Amino acid sequence: MGLLAAITEAWQEVRVHRVRVVLSLVGVFLAVFAMTTITAVGRMGAQMLQESSDRSQGRAATLQLDVYSSDGSSTVDAESMAQLRSVVARHGIPWSSLTGSLQFPARLPAGTKLVSGTIVEPRYGEMHRIQVLQGRWFTDADTDRFAPALVVDQQFADGLGGFDPAAPPTVVLGGDTPVRGTVIGVVDDRNTDGVSAWVLPGDVERWISADTTYGSAQLGMQVWVPDRDAEALQQVLQQELTASVPGGNAGVYRYDSGEELGVVNVVLAYGVRGIGIFALVLGGIGVLNVGLVTVRQRIREIGVRRSFGATSGRVFFAVLFESVCATAAAGALAVLLSVAIISNLPLSLILPQGISLTDVPPYPWEAALEGFLAATAIGALAGLVPAVMAVRAQVIDAIRY
Amino acid sequence: MSVVSLNGIGRSVALPDGEVLRILTGVDLVVEAGEHVAVVGRSGSGKSTLLNLVGLLDRPTSGEYLLDGRPTTGMSARRTAKLRGATFGFVFQQFNLLPGRSATDNVASPLFYGSSREFLRRRSIARAMLTRVGLGGRLDTMPEKLSGGEQQRVALARSLVRRPRVLLADEPTGALDVDTGSAVMDVLEELVREDGTTLVTITHDLAVAARADRRFRLDHGVLTQLDDAALHGATADRSAP
Repeated sequence: MGLLAAITEAWQEVRVHRVRVVLSLVGVFLAVFAMTTITAVGRMGAQMLQESSDRSQGRAATLQLDVYSSDGSSTVDAESMAQLRSVVARHGIPWSSLTGSLQFPARLPAGTKLVSGTIVEPRYGEMHRIQVLQGRWFTDADTDRFAPALVVDQQFADGLGGFDPAAPPTVVLGGDTPVRGTVIGVVDDRNTDGVSAWVLPGDVERWISADTTYGSAQLGMQVWVPDRDAEALQQVLQQELTASVPGGNAGVYRYDSGEELGVVNVVLAYGVRGIGIFALVLGGIGVLNVGLVTVRQRIREIGVRRSFGATSGRVFFAVLFESVCATAAAGALAVLLSVAIISNLPLSLILPQGISLTDVPPYPWEAALEGFLAATAIGALAGLVPAVMAVRAQVIDAIRY
Repeated sequence: MSVVSLNGIGRSVALPDGEVLRILTGVDLVVEAGEHVAVVGRSGSGKSTLLNLVGLLDRPTSGEYLLDGRPTTGMSARRTAKLRGATFGFVFQQFNLLPGRSATDNVASPLFYGSSREFLRRRSIARAMLTRVGLGGRLDTMPEKLSGGEQQRVALARSLVRRPRVLLADEPTGALDVDTGSAVMDVLEELVREDGTTLVTITHDLAVAARADRRFRLDHGVLTQLDDAALHGATADRSAP
C-alpha cells in the first residue's frame, strides 16, 4: 500500500505541476516521437527497397543457374531445361522457376509492337513479389493450355483496350507463324519502359521460339532458398551442374541484393538509434534542469511533508518517481502519436510514382517499447539528483524557508 | 500519564567561527495527556527549536526525551519519521498549505503516510475533517482563494486529520488579526477537547497563552514556569494605554 500511496502521490504532483512538467517534457516527448517514428518510416523505406529489389532480382536468397553451350550462349533447349530441373529436384528445392528473356512482336489494335518478354514459371510470381492488378498470375494449369497464356503490364493492356476478367482479351503474337495468345492478367510493372509480357517456357518452346523472327531466348533457372543455406547450395549446385553439362559450362550465382540491403538496414537502424539516444539525452538534461529548480522551490513543501511523517526514502521516491511518472507519460504519449500517424499514412498518395509497398511492415513495437523504456530511464536518471537534494534538505530549514 | 517528558534537554549549534551557540539549556518539561501547555517567549528565545525537538523534527544535543515513557534517543531516522507522523500534528504560523491543491487535497495529504485504510479513504476523511472546522462549503477551494482565518482552519484540519495524540502549534494566530485569531483558537481548543488531544502552543501572544492549562516562559534558552500573577501582570501591561 505504501508503494501505491507513493505512486499516487507522485502522480498527484505531476498533475498539480502539469504546466512545468509539460514544458520540461517537450524534449523527451519529441525525442521518443522522433525515435519511434523515424524507425517506423525507416522500416517502410527498407521494406520498399526490399520489395523493389525482390521484384527485379528476387527475394533473399535467389540463386541464378545458367547453362551455357560450348560457344558461350545460354541454351533454351529441352535437354538444358531437364538438366536444370533435375539438379534442383535432387535437392528438394520447392521454389524454382525457369526464367529468361526474349522479344517478340504482338499485333495490337494500334499496330504491331515489339514486346519485352520474360519467360517464367508459376512460382516466379511469389519469388519476385509480382503484384497482379487485374486477372491473375500463372498457375500450373496454364502449362496445359492450347494457346499461349500471357500476363502483361498495364501499358500492354491499355494497348489492347483494357482488361476484362470476365472476357479476357486475346492478342496475336505476330511473326511468320502467328499464334493467338490469351491475356490472363495485368501486373504492376511501372519500373519497365516499353510494353512487357510474361510467358511460360512451354509456350515459348512450342510456339514462340519456333519462329526465328523472334530472336533467340536466353534461359536459365532461379531458385529461392533459405538465406543461411545459400552459400553452401551455390557451391554444390555449381559442381553438380558443371558435371551434368559435358563440354559446356554452368554458372550459379547469387542474384538478389539481400546482402547489400542488409548493410543498408543496419546503418539505418543504428543511425536512427544513435540520433534518438542523443535527442533523449538532451531531453533528459532539460528534465534534470527543471527538476533541480523545482526542488529548490519546493523545499518548504518537502519540509511540510516530513512533518506529516514522510521518511527520507519516501521523499526520495516521491521526487524520483515524479520525474519517472512524467517522462513515462511523455514517452507513452509520443508512442501513441507515432502509432496514430504511422498507421494512417496515406501511402498511395505520398509514395513517388513507380514505388509501391505490398507488405506494409508492422509498427515497430520493439522500437516503441525501447523509446518508452528509454524515456522512463531518462526520467529516473534526471530525477536522481533532485531526489538526493530533497532528502538532504534540513526539515527545519525547509519549513522556515 | 505524561506524553512528553523532557529532562535536561539542551540544543546547541556550532557556528562557522568555531563558537558554540546554545539555543536551549537544561530544559525540563512534562506534558500530560490531554493537557494544554503554552510556551511564551520573545523572538529568538528558542521557542520554535523547542517545538521542533518535541515534534521529533530535530534532535537534542544533550538531555533525555521520553515520548510515552520511551526514550527517543538512538531511534533510526525512519522510525522517527513514522513516530512523528503517527503521534504529532503541526500547525505553522504561515499555514504552509500546499499550493495548487484544493482544501480537501491539502487536508488529505498527511493520509498518504498513514494506514492503508486512511490512504484509501483519504478524501472522505478529509472532507469530514473540513466540515468539522466549518469549511464544509469550501472543500474544493484553492488555498489562495481562502481568507487567512480559513487557511489556518484548513491547516488545523490537516494537522488533526490523522488524529494525532499531540498537536504542536507554532504561533497559530501569528499571521491573523485579533478577532480571527481568537476564532481560530476557539475552533482549535474545541477540536482538541473533543478528541482528547494534547496541545502544546508556542506563542508570544499572552492572550493565547492565557487559554492554556499551564504556561511556561522561555528566555535565552531557559524554560521556567509562568505563574498566573506574572501572566496577568504582563497581560495588563500589554493592554495598558
